[in-house]
Amino acid sequence: MKQTFVFSGSGGQGIMSAGITLAQTAIAMGRHATYLPEYGPEQRGGSAKCTVVISDDPIVSPLPRRCDILITMNELSYRKFEEDLKPDGVLLANSCLVKSAEPRDDITLISAAVDDIALEVGNPKTANVILLGILIGATDVVRLDVFEESLKVKFGAKSPEVLAMNLDALSKGYALGQQYK
Amino acid sequence: MAEYKRSTMIADSPSGYCPGCLHSLATRLISDVIDELGQGDNSLNVISVGCSALNLLYWSGDYLGVAHGRAPASATGIKRTNPERLVFTYQGDGDLAAIGLAEIMSAANRGENFTVIFANNQTYGMTGGQMAPTTLIGQKTTTTIYGRDPATTGYPMKMCEILSTLEAPAYIARFALNNPKGVRDARAGIKKAFEAQLAGKGFTFVELLTNCPTNWHMTPLQTLDYMNTNTIPYFKPGVYRDRTSEEAGA
Amino acid sequence: MGEKRFMKGNEAIAEAAVRAGCRFFAGYPITPQNEIPEYLSWRLPEVGGSYVQGESEIASVNMVYGAAAMGTRSMTSSSGPGISLKAEGISYLAAAMLPALIVNISRGGPGLGSIQPAQSDYLQATKALGHGGFHAMVFAPASAQEAVDVVYEAWDYAERDRNPVLVLMDGCLGNIMEEVELPPMREFTDEDIPEWSLSRRNGRDYQGNITPIYTEPILEGLNAMAGEMYKAWEEDDVKVEEFLVEDAEYVVVAYGIAARVAKEAVMELRDKGFKVGLIRPITLYPFPKKSIHDLDYSRVKGIIDVEMTIPAQMHDDIAQQVMERCPIFEYGRSGGCLLDDEGVYEAIYDIVTGGGADNG
Repeated sequence: MKQTFVFSGSGGQGIMSAGITLAQTAIAMGRHATYLPEYGPEQRGGSAKCTVVISDDPIVSPLPRRCDILITMNELSYRKFEEDLKPDGVLLANSCLVKSAEPRDDITLISAAVDDIALEVGNPKTANVILLGILIGATDVVRLDVFEESLKVKFGAKSPEVLAMNLDALSKGYALGQQYK
Repeated sequence: MAEYKRSTMIADSPSGYCPGCLHSLATRLISDVIDELGQGDNSLNVISVGCSALNLLYWSGDYLGVAHGRAPASATGIKRTNPERLVFTYQGDGDLAAIGLAEIMSAANRGENFTVIFANNQTYGMTGGQMAPTTLIGQKTTTTIYGRDPATTGYPMKMCEILSTLEAPAYIARFALNNPKGVRDARAGIKKAFEAQLAGKGFTFVELLTNCPTNWHMTPLQTLDYMNTNTIPYFKPGVYRDRTSEEAGA
Repeated sequence: MGEKRFMKGNEAIAEAAVRAGCRFFAGYPITPQNEIPEYLSWRLPEVGGSYVQGESEIASVNMVYGAAAMGTRSMTSSSGPGISLKAEGISYLAAAMLPALIVNISRGGPGLGSIQPAQSDYLQATKALGHGGFHAMVFAPASAQEAVDVVYEAWDYAERDRNPVLVLMDGCLGNIMEEVELPPMREFTDEDIPEWSLSRRNGRDYQGNITPIYTEPILEGLNAMAGEMYKAWEEDDVKVEEFLVEDAEYVVVAYGIAARVAKEAVMELRDKGFKVGLIRPITLYPFPKKSIHDLDYSRVKGIIDVEMTIPAQMHDDIAQQVMERCPIFEYGRSGGCLLDDEGVYEAIYDIVTGGGADNG
């Protein structure tokens, strides 16, 4: 099976890091993945987009036109990339910043107040981990336990508190995502 | 009394430099110092473009011919990978002060541990006597036939003074080769620069005021007088920086 | 088994260079290749090598010229505008017969063009990397893994030929992260330092000299030797992937990222029963002439040149081999607009079903 993800938002929302972590987790599970970042010329605050392809077979083209799952963290990216979502695709929108999302009748819309949940968790920077939790809960793209391992590798050495916060963010997102399964 | 003999660094063949050209003397001074320091096999001459490139025909030691103005860049690649070698560039004024200005400034600013010998004769000799960045105000060349006019061509660039604005260089000095004292001082200056390099003191720069009888349209003796009257008052000989006695890396 | 890592194409190139024995890098910042110098700035010192951030692309390539003259495996990288600045120095490398690796992670052109990826430097790479009519072998990897493989062998070719080698890869592949398997570190000793170099660490005790200028009869002889070398490359060193061409009625010719996207389109079209194949030059110079020349043109109805640049730059090289035996079609995106799988599929589909325009 091959799935294409587009993560989009503005610089600083953890878009790129979410894409990389998802791809790395897929590889850790023995699947194949490519990650393509696309930046605007701005160093800060510009648009951020990355495309992740995950497949059981080696990936031939890393440049898909459309995606199976679109993650939009803000209004601008929603408007820009909404038409790239395939029919029967999944739109995951951060409802704190994406206000105009109306469900196309041929897709599944997951609208979640990701930024608010991140504040509950204790740090706005955990928004992207919540996002990935939702994604994993809703789609089974990667296994939760393998993803937890990648978080442990990423944060475990730095600080146990940061790791705990991220694991909390992940489980909150995961629980939310499962409702859409 | 010292014995006068041929330097081991210069091939036994007739010089292609014009009669009375001080490039010959400059080359001789460099090769003498290399002999004196016993660095013949260890030296590496980075030969630039212009009349300086005639050394490709005579130099008996290891040498690398490089692109116009880029000698300090190529010397950087050499010295970074082979720090044990005695590396020097020999560059004219067009090569160093015009097309190669970025390379000389940046190599000096990085404090690269090699020596730049800068032959300043105020003209492009090999291409037939065009205006150089060091051509004096009023000096006639094939591209300033009424004399250099600062209104359209600016002023002669004083490389020792410009380089002295940088922190990194260990030694910066200018000598005139038109008189015996200047020649003796130049020899001592080149030796000091090479010794400093071998001791790892950093970037060393020796400017030699030279002449061009052919393109200045003068006899060799007239060029020496011209240098006394015109060149030396503008490009003042002297030691502009000397940190060679300080600890390396200071 | 080598070591597997998830890496950007640019970083994979940098690590492969280190493992191939590269010990000197000089470069100047330019998007989209910055990960190469950034990586090497900390990695080279770890293995006893040197990294210099040059004051310009011009200075950087001339630093490489100096280091290469010492027999050190040396490289520089840049993108189109910077490669133009390096052109003089690359020509000098060829003249002085110095091996070095030049990497071009290409972007939209001409001029400052676009910082976004494009395959806009094919002509520069294959026809005139600098003045004086010389050539360098040009490798065009289509994945991070192939970039690793190509870079790992680049100096073997460069030192064999005493000539620079170019790796041309677009900014997409430079920035895409993929899984790569890294080869082991190659170890060299002072005895491996080439005899022709200016190093004396190999025990050389006679004068060494290297020059980019020659007197007339010598230069003519060297020009003739270079000509023979280019011919030998065509015999011995062409690398090409041929995919489903045996029975193909339409053959796509594409390299690098364009070939990856086109291959997926070819696979899909095959699934639908269309007889489409792909020829993917891995060496752009020497160009895989035979692969295109020797096709059975009683069967092949068209060649489709797919490139991420407009107009297609490989066209003339293809046309020389096709010799008007079938039409040549072009499809491309340009100026930083990327090819995508559906766009390439539709373009090829239109051509094989009779709707495409013949640009031949």
